[in-house]
Amino acid sequence: MSAPVILALMTFCFLFFGYLGVPVPFSLLAGVFVGAMLADVSLAAIIQKVFDGVDSEALLAIPFFLLVGELMSSANVVVRIANLSVSLVGHIRGGLSQVVVVFSMFFSEMSGSTTADVAVMSRALGGPMKREGYSPAFIAAIIASASTIAALVPPSITAVVYGAVGNVSIAGLFMAGVVPGFMIGIGLMIYCYFFGPTGFTKPRAPLRQIAFAAADAALPLMIPVILLGGILTGWFTPTEAGVVAVCWIILVVIPALNRGHIRKIPYDFCLAGLIFSLPLITIGAANAFGWMLAYLRGASYIADVIVSIAGNDPHLIMLLMVLLFTVVGDFIEPVPTIIIFMPLVNTLTEAGGINGVHMGVVLIATLAFGLITPPYGLVLLMASKFVGVSFAKALRAALPIYVVFLVTITFTIYFPKVVLWLPKHVIPESVGCFKAPGGTGYICPN
Amino acid sequence: MSTADQLILQRHRHLKWRSLDWLEQLLMILCGLLCFGFSLSVTADIVTRTIGHPWLWLQEVTSTLFIYAIFIGAAVATRRNDHLYLTAISEAMHGTPRLVVEIIIRVVVLGVAGCLIRYGYQNYLRGFGSFRLPSGTPIASLYAVIPLSGILIALFTIEQLVNGIANGFDHPEPPDDDGPIVPLDTRIVGRAEL
Repeated sequence: MSAPVILALMTFCFLFFGYLGVPVPFSLLAGVFVGAMLADVSLAAIIQKVFDGVDSEALLAIPFFLLVGELMSSANVVVRIANLSVSLVGHIRGGLSQVVVVFSMFFSEMSGSTTADVAVMSRALGGPMKREGYSPAFIAAIIASASTIAALVPPSITAVVYGAVGNVSIAGLFMAGVVPGFMIGIGLMIYCYFFGPTGFTKPRAPLRQIAFAAADAALPLMIPVILLGGILTGWFTPTEAGVVAVCWIILVVIPALNRGHIRKIPYDFCLAGLIFSLPLITIGAANAFGWMLAYLRGASYIADVIVSIAGNDPHLIMLLMVLLFTVVGDFIEPVPTIIIFMPLVNTLTEAGGINGVHMGVVLIATLAFGLITPPYGLVLLMASKFVGVSFAKALRAALPIYVVFLVTITFTIYFPKVVLWLPKHVIPESVGCFKAPGGTGYICPN
Repeated sequence: MSTADQLILQRHRHLKWRSLDWLEQLLMILCGLLCFGFSLSVTADIVTRTIGHPWLWLQEVTSTLFIYAIFIGAAVATRRNDHLYLTAISEAMHGTPRLVVEIIIRVVVLGVAGCLIRYGYQNYLRGFGSFRLPSGTPIASLYAVIPLSGILIALFTIEQLVNGIANGFDHPEPPDDDGPIVPLDTRIVGRAEL
């Protein structure tokens, strides 16, 4: 049987079983096993690929970031961040929808997980928004859209996976994700201001109240400082920064702000131990799928098609990749997508002479967009479930918000200098710069 | 309800044998211990490196606990139906179509679990020929968790299959627990203009 037919069968099995209701890692593996049997590949080799997919030190950061999110949510310290957000932007037109966006910009820098974000925001802000008369469809749409920021800004788990699998600097991806993440946040606030529901008008919080709210949220807000500061100063790797953040929460935040929660910490560890295994076993299965895709030369076939259209034009290559990932991201989650298509991404990054970090941040932004597009916009699905509105209604409310994402992705493609400015100045090595022979400054590729 | 009891998920109760609840509880506790263990070993790794006396074996301990946590977590997630799903078409179905789809789903999972057991065991046996550094432990010690995870996944899938056929897969579920997050208290001082 020819390689394209085997690949088509593998993909069909994965999508058919997946949409039937088989869990993602098992549907991926079912597809891979079918492909391996037809391609005469040893199934023991496939199991080995599953193991290799998770046996990576860089992936060790994921459980710690998830643990940070779990501890923050269950210890109920997120309300303090929500209060700070209200005092900062609650008076702006749009009211609580502005609060949702600002809250997400804060919380994303702690959890790194879009699903954690959407769960926390729906529970903390969904009810109050309903009481203030916002339509459930709009609530689901704005919460889902805002939570995608977590995929871009540090400590994004998607960036950790991309960096670990693609051999790209994770710290570089974290830094480069700040501009598009910030753009989505500001874009959503502008959208809410001009086109969203007006909301209740609240008086502007006096400076003293803002200062009080900031002081109240100071301990949890140290977490992004620890994560970012540790990584940027080179003191910690992302994994170590995650550990230090966990220690900070357990030893300082919870005892100081919610002492009663201390006895529940073992439960949080049990839950975190379960939760982190879910994306990781999917990573293992997706690694086997990606390996089969590369083995059957599927990646190079797609790369040839893209290069035949785009030549070596980096912008066109990235635009076509965005198109491909938008379609793929509509059906598959970001993490398996990244792993399955990494051989293709690497080939095209080389063909277009594109900076690995730049390509990474463009694709992560595209996959973040895929989280709110049909038919499988995971976070929009979650938000509509939490808020209690049909997915179709939430989708209709989210449609105009897509403009914010399309503008951000286009900007990220065409203005690499702006996107890479931060990593280039903070961690030059992360974007391929190297120290000048004279010892002063860095030499960076164009 | 004690913390240990909370570890047994009450959702999809009709698909579970009470006699296996202890196993779910044990595996959840194991997940927590493994998670705590590698958190501790990474912390110790940072501390020992910072003071200039790195314990190299700590990285080996970390990776062992990490790998075991992933595969044990994947197994217990099967019983709790906590895995990532593309969609849940079956949940919108009722009667015979639902029964057929649910059986197909479990048969596919069972097939994959069978492969994890058989070929994972082959890898485990081969793993005695390779060794981890610096301890020199056979890499089979890591591969052992794959067939073990396969056995647990198969066990939990058979449990769901038998109970689903006997009791039906379609049962009303209690509403999801909203967790401890307190909704924000926003003081309303103006008029809505929605």
